[in-house]
Amino acid sequence: MHRAADPQQALNALPSARSASAVACVGFGLRVPHYDAILSHGLRSDFAEAISENFLGRGGRAFSVLERVRSDMPVALHGVSLSIGGMEPLANTYLEELSELARRISAFSVSDHLCFGTFGGHYAHDLWPLPYTEEALVHVAERVQKVQDRLGRRLLLENVSSYVAYRASTLTEWEFLSEVVTRADAGILLDLNNVFVSANNHGFSALSYLRALPRERVRQIHLAGHSDAGGYLFDDHGSAVSDAVWQLYEQSLELFGALPTIVEWDERLPELSVLEAEAAHARALSNARLTARHEAEP
Amino acid sequence: MKLAELERYFASAATSGSGPLPDLERIFVGSDQLSAKDRLAIYNRGYFYRLLDALASVFGQTKRLLGDADFERLGLAYVAQYPSEHPAVERIGRAFPAYLRGVHAPATIVDVASLEWARLCALVAANPRSVATVHAIEPGLFPQARLRFVPSLHWLELDPRALSAFAGEAPARAAQATADPPGPLLGVAVWRNQHAVRHEALDASEWTALVCAAGGGTLSEVCSAFASESAADDVHRAFQVLSNWFAKQWLEQIEYGEARRISD
Repeated sequence: MHRAADPQQALNALPSARSASAVACVGFGLRVPHYDAILSHGLRSDFAEAISENFLGRGGRAFSVLERVRSDMPVALHGVSLSIGGMEPLANTYLEELSELARRISAFSVSDHLCFGTFGGHYAHDLWPLPYTEEALVHVAERVQKVQDRLGRRLLLENVSSYVAYRASTLTEWEFLSEVVTRADAGILLDLNNVFVSANNHGFSALSYLRALPRERVRQIHLAGHSDAGGYLFDDHGSAVSDAVWQLYEQSLELFGALPTIVEWDERLPELSVLEAEAAHARALSNARLTARHEAEP
Repeated sequence: MKLAELERYFASAATSGSGPLPDLERIFVGSDQLSAKDRLAIYNRGYFYRLLDALASVFGQTKRLLGDADFERLGLAYVAQYPSEHPAVERIGRAFPAYLRGVHAPATIVDVASLEWARLCALVAANPRSVATVHAIEPGLFPQARLRFVPSLHWLELDPRALSAFAGEAPARAAQATADPPGPLLGVAVWRNQHAVRHEALDASEWTALVCAAGGGTLSEVCSAFASESAADDVHRAFQVLSNWFAKQWLEQIEYGEARRISD
C-alpha cells in the first residue's frame, strides 16, 4: 500500500492523467458513520474522496475529519449539487465555497455529475439524466467552461446511472459525454458501475461505451455496488462491487491504464474494514496491470 | 421540445406528489420490460424518499414521537410543499418545525423538532475565527463592550416538556404530556463544543441576558438582566453567568467599539 507521510509528496505521486504510474492509487469515499473511526485511527488508503456538499462552509467534526485525512493523503472533491446540465444559473455562493474548499485542501481533483438536479430554484438531490441533443451539448459545455474558469482548474464529469432515456436524444450517452469533455476541455470520472447499470437498463454494450471514450480524457474511476430491482438494475451503492463490474474494471485497466480509483458505498454502510478490502482488491488488479505493462516494456 | 421544456417536464414527473404525469411515452423511451411510466416512477419514488430519509436523519426524536407512519405521512407532505433550497440535502428540514405547527401537531413535538433543527444548525456551523477568554477583558472598557458569539450558538424558547421528550421519554408518556396544557416557555441554548452538540436550559435572568447580548446590548445592559433587590447577589450572579459563557466557549470576540477591537 502506498502511503506518503508528506501530503504534497503523495499528491505528486498520484497519476493526474492517463500516464503510466508506478503505483496503484485506490481509495474510498468519506462517509459520516465512519467519522469517529477516522478521527481515532486515521484512514488506510492511498487517497480519499469527500462529497463536497458535506464540507462546504462547515466546521466541527466534518472539517476535523477532512483535515485529519488531508494531513495523511490527498483528497478528491466530488460534488452532487452542481447541476451542470440544469437551466438555473450556476450558484455563485456554491462555486465560491467550492473554490475556497478546493484551494484550502489543495484538492487532488474536483468532480461532479453529467446530469441536472435543479428545478424552479430548488434542488432535487438526485442525478437526473439529460437529453443527449446538440442543444444540451452546447449548454453543458458552456457551463463546464464557466465552472472551470471559476475554479481555476479542470473539472471531471462523471457519467450517471439512468433508468429512462428521452426520445429527443440524437446522440448516445458516450458520444454526448465524449463531446462535452472535448469541447469544454474537461476530464472524465468514469463510474464503471453506472456504465454497467445503464447498459443493462437501456440495452447497450458497456464495453463498447468504454471503447468509445477519448482515452486521454479519462482521469479517475469509480466502483460501487448495485441491486437487481426486478426488471432493472438500481444504482444504490449498497453492496460490494459485483463480479461483472470487477470484470469491467479489468477491461478499463487494459483500455485506460491504472487510474486513481475510488470505491463508493452509501446504503447499508459496512465497517471501514469492508471498504478497505474492496479497495485492496482494486489495488491488486491495478498493480497486476502495472506489473504486466512494466514487464512488456522493452 | 427544447432542453428547458424537457427538463421542466422531467422535473414535474419526478416531483409530482401524485406520481408521474400521464402521457410520458411521448417524451421518454420505454420498453416491453419497463414502460416509460414505470421508469419515471423510479425517479419519483427516489425523489420523495431520499428527502424523507434526509428529514429523518435530522429529526430522529421527532420521528420517534410521531411514530413511523405519521412521520412518513407528514414528511412526504412537507417535502412536496417545501422543496430543498440548499445544496446540502439535510437542510431540507428548515421549515419542518413551522410546518408541524401549521398542521397542529402537538406543541411538545413541534418544540422537539425546533430543538433538533437548532442542533443541526449548531453541528454544521462554521468554526469560530477565535475563541475569546477572560484575558480579553479590559476592565475599564468592560461596561461598554459588546459580545460576539460563536457561529454554532443558537437560542430558542421551548415547552419545557420538549427537553424530556427529546431525551427519550417513553412515547406514551410524552403523548400524555403533550395533551396537557403547556406551561411557561423555557429559554434553551444550543451550541457545539469541539465535535459535540450540547443544549442547556437557562433560567429567566440568563435567558434575558443572552437575548440582550445577542441583540447587541452592551455588557452593562446585559448585566442589568440580573437586577434584583440585592446588589451583591446581582454582581455575583452576573459574574457567574458571564464566566460560564467564557468557560463554555460561547464567545468569539469581545468588541470594544469601532476604534478598538480586542480578541483572544
